[in-house]
Amino acid sequence: MIRLDNVTKVYNGDVVALRDASFDIPKGEFVFLVGASGSGKSTLLRLLNRQETPEKGDVWVAGKSINDLAGYKVPYLRRNIGNIFQDYKLLTNKTVFENVAFALEVIGKPKHVIRQQVPAILELVGLAGKQDRFPHQLSGGEQQRVSIARAFVNRPLILLADEPTGNLDPATGEGIMRLLDRINKTGTTVVMATHDRTIVNMMRRRVIELDRGIIVRDQARGVYG
Amino acid sequence: MLSRIGYVLRETGASLRRNLTLTLATLLTVLVALSLVGLSILIQRGMSNQLARWEGGVEISIFMNPTASADQIDKVRRDLEENQFVRRSTYVDKAKAAEEVRQLFPRTPEILEAVTEADLPTSFRVVPTSTDQTLVSTLVARFQRAPGVMAVYSANEVIDFLRNVSSYLNWALALAVVLGLGAVLLIWNTIRTAMFARRREIEVMKLVGATNWFIRWPFMLEGMILGFLGASLASAAMWGFNQLWKSRVIDEAARTNLFLDQLQATPAQVNATVIILLVVGTVAGAVASAIAATRFLDV
Repeated sequence: MIRLDNVTKVYNGDVVALRDASFDIPKGEFVFLVGASGSGKSTLLRLLNRQETPEKGDVWVAGKSINDLAGYKVPYLRRNIGNIFQDYKLLTNKTVFENVAFALEVIGKPKHVIRQQVPAILELVGLAGKQDRFPHQLSGGEQQRVSIARAFVNRPLILLADEPTGNLDPATGEGIMRLLDRINKTGTTVVMATHDRTIVNMMRRRVIELDRGIIVRDQARGVYG
Repeated sequence: MLSRIGYVLRETGASLRRNLTLTLATLLTVLVALSLVGLSILIQRGMSNQLARWEGGVEISIFMNPTASADQIDKVRRDLEENQFVRRSTYVDKAKAAEEVRQLFPRTPEILEAVTEADLPTSFRVVPTSTDQTLVSTLVARFQRAPGVMAVYSANEVIDFLRNVSSYLNWALALAVVLGLGAVLLIWNTIRTAMFARRREIEVMKLVGATNWFIRWPFMLEGMILGFLGASLASAAMWGFNQLWKSRVIDEAARTNLFLDQLQATPAQVNATVIILLVVGTVAGAVASAIAATRFLDV
């Protein structure tokens, strides 16, 4: 589903964010990216949805090299990739329902599809009955669930999560992980960058460790290290 | 598709209201710039209409001294008849001159009471073979020196004056272009501000796979509406000026027999200018916002 071939990403000509990275993630796998701040985890995620392009090497998503993808095709690539962030990136002036509906609206989904899919996904993430709340009326965990609903409502093949539990207490973070696990079990490939030792050790999934832009460990059923 | 149009209109309207001050400032600048462009075009059209009318019948008037002897008048007449550059000439005697004065000042007959027929100069009306500038001025100079001649006037002087004035219009047009540039920059800035206000939404839209055109449309429409509205206001201002000009200047001039009846744009020319303003305004708005949106989206 995702493959990197000797990918190097350099910022401003001399800051190496990622050096000669290669890996292969099959469909339906759950992968943790671990490493210190600035080790290149976020850069790696940004390469996967073409927010960045590599200086060297190839990035493959869903069987296609996305390096030379024409600019106008990038949106269609991103419709196959959901994104979750540490700070949720919810729109504060929209309700829960509107936040999730927004993701369908802007890719041109008709109203009847939105009316049917949004409540279904809110039910799935455990927010049934809260669709008319505004983000500031929700707890951090609930806001992250909205963000997951928004990322998953279009049933993407891949879910990229950048420190999704970073702002949450351990119990709430665990709830989010159970949700991501359920989504993964539907066949969605999940790539999650994290600092959370407890969660990585609890889940025992594949771990890719980065150190200053270099992959230093790629271990099935790994621990935080 | 319908929901998509609804989305674009909703977003555009909300954005225009959100930046009301900037929206108004932009509208006013577009209004002033395009009004200047429109007025310059109208005035230029009017002047060239009048010039075309005048140049068709350029005349030289040779006024004789009221005290000129019959010999002197006869000499000028013979010179005119022999001159190869004179197509025809007519003599205006004192009776005809008085008649002309009566026609020129129909509402002020007291002028004729103050001026007796004997005081009026007689004159020759001369039509040269061509309206060429140097030919006309040579003729003017030649008869200026003839004995018994008081003064020689040619319409060329008026035409030159009008030409001079219309060359100053280019400065007004240059000013309009500068102002127009200011209007484009303001539209650009308005759109950039609108996009900045919505940068989080735009970020989310990009991440969930909205196409750039989908994101851009509401902003493009906003710029086009600003340009079009400004141009409409400018057209209204220009139309109002044109009406005033016609009723206060042209009609008034016609009543006093000043020959300025063509110093105005024809209705077709006014319509064409309105269309020019609307197209220029809308296109400028679209281009300015497209540039602003593209630079914002390409981050």
